[in-house]
Amino acid sequence: MATFNPHAMLPETQHDEQARQDFVGALRGHLSARVMPGAYKIYQSRVLPAFVAAHGREPLDEQEVRSVMTKDPYYQFWSALQRRSQELLWESVIDPTERQVHELVNKAKPRRKARGSLRLDPKLPIPRYHTAADIHLQPGGYHTEFVADDVAAGAIYDKGINLYMGGALGAENDLMGNTLVAYLRERHPERKPLRILDIGCAIGNSSVVWARAFPRAEVHGIDVAAPVLRYAHGRAEALGVPVHFSQQNAEGTDFPDGHFDLVVSHIVLHETSKSALVRILAECRRLLRPDGLMLHLEIPRGRTVIEKFMHNWESYNNNETFSRYMTRIDLCAEGRRAGFAARELTLEEFRPQLAATQMNYAEHFFWKILVARKRAAR
Amino acid sequence: MAKRKKTTAAKSPPARIARVAKGRKPQYFSDPATDKLLWMTVTLMEELSVTRDRLDTVERVLAKKRVLKRGEIDNYKPDTRSAAERDQRRKAFIDRMMRAVHAELEEATSRGANRPDDDPIAAVEA
Repeated sequence: MATFNPHAMLPETQHDEQARQDFVGALRGHLSARVMPGAYKIYQSRVLPAFVAAHGREPLDEQEVRSVMTKDPYYQFWSALQRRSQELLWESVIDPTERQVHELVNKAKPRRKARGSLRLDPKLPIPRYHTAADIHLQPGGYHTEFVADDVAAGAIYDKGINLYMGGALGAENDLMGNTLVAYLRERHPERKPLRILDIGCAIGNSSVVWARAFPRAEVHGIDVAAPVLRYAHGRAEALGVPVHFSQQNAEGTDFPDGHFDLVVSHIVLHETSKSALVRILAECRRLLRPDGLMLHLEIPRGRTVIEKFMHNWESYNNNETFSRYMTRIDLCAEGRRAGFAARELTLEEFRPQLAATQMNYAEHFFWKILVARKRAAR
Repeated sequence: MAKRKKTTAAKSPPARIARVAKGRKPQYFSDPATDKLLWMTVTLMEELSVTRDRLDTVERVLAKKRVLKRGEIDNYKPDTRSAAERDQRRKAFIDRMMRAVHAELEEATSRGANRPDDDPIAAVEA
């Protein structure tokens, strides 16, 4: 397992708690490297030939693949094991969090000498795409409060996503932030943003990366869920990085027009909804200053029908309810619907180095980056 | 009053975080019992892995404290009495685990075996 840096907000683990997390990490690594690739092989060797024999053609889309693959015993067994590994992952992190939650709540409380800030809005409605099903099977999702001033969802998420990707997200879950910062530095080396907004920031793991990369910038992180924001604040302060967190819906914020040089998100869009997606992109456009830049990092959705089907596993089995829709759409078209001009938008692909134990469902892993450069005012 | 408040704050009730996620639970196999059995098997895998880690820790701590020598467990040979007790315990464990298989055979062949048309409930209600 790759290293994971301890910080003050991470729950400590006792012997058996650590052994459970180690087991879940090892099991998921095995499923990813040794069992999941078999699903692609089974498709080629028996599912696809049977489909062709029956229909006289190959499947047209991922839904047709689904109609036959979900009946295959190899796929069924992998799928059931993958689901169980996800449930065990959360359980293994909930145990130590539950034991220490009151201490964590105290540690996260805003201090007078804080570098950043925390602004909560208890009246903010939690969107249905959070409340209908607990995203990623994390019990209670990002938003449920189990104790007063709760931070549990944040602590569970922080260690949980580290286990989820077999450590691939980096020693401080900083891979996604680093990916976008590297993209910006390579393509736009002249840019030194002074006001940055990270939408759907959750525990602020990427917000912190931006604040470190551009120490002169004022970095804001917004999310709808208070428990992850309280944790994000405590975490950023523990790491000594100034970030301003506020509880807001990215579909409509209270920031003024043209307030930001740069608006970013890190694998957030596929957790929203059809209508919210367009509203979020429109809000990003409103918040950008002329010539400002928008960067949304998104997870791969596959290129072939079998790969698309495998990525959609998350929709049916892991409560990423909106990711199936995201497999089918053109993100640039969504951007145009939100008010961007066609020439303001591009969709980039970026391939990270991942080990076999970190692939989860992908044969080929490509990040997508939806880029928009708002036209400069005349 | 202030004092009492402080005591209450210190004694926060133990937190309870949900263990089951909201959302549709898929069924993977044609028989839902198979789903449950796989669920239990993976949980047993986890507990066995945790127990092996714990045993490994015990051996290493004892070795560090010079209670055990390295390899003492691997080279351990039980004496006759210990071996007999261990055999008994192992057999009893296997018997309990295999009960599901044996029960089917016993029901089919034992002296008081029910004929397929026997209905014990109907018999007592007659």
